[in-house]
Amino acid sequence: MEKIKVKICCGTSCFVMGASQIQILEIDPPADIKDKIEIEESRCMEHCHTNVSKYNRGPFVEVNGEVIEEANFEKVVNKIREILNKD
Amino acid sequence: MDSSLFIDIGSYQVQKNGEDCFGDTVYAKKIPEEQRIIGILSDGLGSGVKANILSSMTTRMAMKFMEDNTDLQVASETMMDALPICQIRKISYATFSIVDTELEGKTRIFEMDNPRYIFIRNNHLFDIKGREFSSPKWKDRKIFVSQVNNLPEDRIIVMSDGVTQAGIGNRKYPLGWGRDGCINFVLKTLEQDPHISSFTLSKKIVNEALDKENGRKAGDDISCMCLYFRNPRKLLIVTGPPFDEEKDKEIAELVSTYDGRIAICGGTTANIIERELCVKCEIDKTSFDSKIPMASTMEGVDLVTEGILTLTDVYRMLKEGIDKNSNTASVRLAKMLLESDKIDFVVGTKINVAHQDPSLPMELEIRRNIVKKIFRLLQSKYLKEISVRYV
Repeated sequence: MEKIKVKICCGTSCFVMGASQIQILEIDPPADIKDKIEIEESRCMEHCHTNVSKYNRGPFVEVNGEVIEEANFEKVVNKIREILNKD
Repeated sequence: MDSSLFIDIGSYQVQKNGEDCFGDTVYAKKIPEEQRIIGILSDGLGSGVKANILSSMTTRMAMKFMEDNTDLQVASETMMDALPICQIRKISYATFSIVDTELEGKTRIFEMDNPRYIFIRNNHLFDIKGREFSSPKWKDRKIFVSQVNNLPEDRIIVMSDGVTQAGIGNRKYPLGWGRDGCINFVLKTLEQDPHISSFTLSKKIVNEALDKENGRKAGDDISCMCLYFRNPRKLLIVTGPPFDEEKDKEIAELVSTYDGRIAICGGTTANIIERELCVKCEIDKTSFDSKIPMASTMEGVDLVTEGILTLTDVYRMLKEGIDKNSNTASVRLAKMLLESDKIDFVVGTKINVAHQDPSLPMELEIRRNIVKKIFRLLQSKYLKEISVRYV
């Protein structure tokens, strides 16, 4: 099975808004998804530039190309599990 | 290319065992308007406070005379006349070595009674012919004058007799370590580390001399001053997207043609360079840290980091000292800054609106401000040559 691609934005604003906590996926991912994900950090995915919302909706994480706004560890893990269960 | 050399000047001293202050004085001064550096090492008669007064008077006077380009004979006679006479030995006396160097041309060296300086070129001892003369008034004082044109990687080492006479009377060094012993040590050290800094080299020489003494107790003041001529180590820091997108190309071109090391600070900036130069930029996971975003690698660029957070952390470390045992992007950048002589900043002034969100931490500074803080500190505390360009 193809791995799920998780792309974490590590641009300045995403990083301070919590992307650094999401990076834990890299070191210590939950056991059930451990072998099923592929993590990639991005310097800046530039969603903060293009987002139409008034306030910054970061941190941004892309799971298989789908953007998660105001992401946190749980949100990302839940999304991954949702995709896994679908398959 | 700019032909002027950069001179790294450094010194190290230990005082005679049991004394409270140095009997030798080392004094160096940069005269930016004349592109000139003068370094003086003087050894006062005896040791302790008296020697300290003699040697510091000598260096201060000599510096003033050198700056004013006073005739050497007049200068040295005045100095000898002015020094107080030692009650025990009934003479006024302090030795000196003066290195007067111009960044683009020649170096002149004046010595009186110090061990002859060591000149290293291409990692070999280079003998420089000079002329000796004395004044009619002080016939026994001989001044040795020599001149040399600087080339990159030249080194000049001057020392007090504490270095050459280290260990004198020992069974192993009955006549002291000697100038030859010191030369061999310097050549060996340079072989191991050809780009060693002047301060480290001076410290090594003094420590090696100290090793020759019984129980590492200095029998005399031991001082050493080194000068290292080299091409300036240049560093380009590109941070922030240009205000006008049309300048993207220009900045990318600068990155691809710069003759020195290059660091890019900023995710978006790196994306721009990646796009313009069609090179690949990949995250370097060995720099993982929970506080500082990871560095990246890009072909032709020495370091790629995130922007504001990294720069803020670099500023902190430049003030407080670089974190030890750490390999974060900010530590790498701070080390790069300190290893460079001439640093060119190119600062894009486009504001990232996403950073202005009031819910973000206050530490998120505006790029221009943090860069300004960094380069001012680099100028004042680390004496780096800085240029800044806003785009």
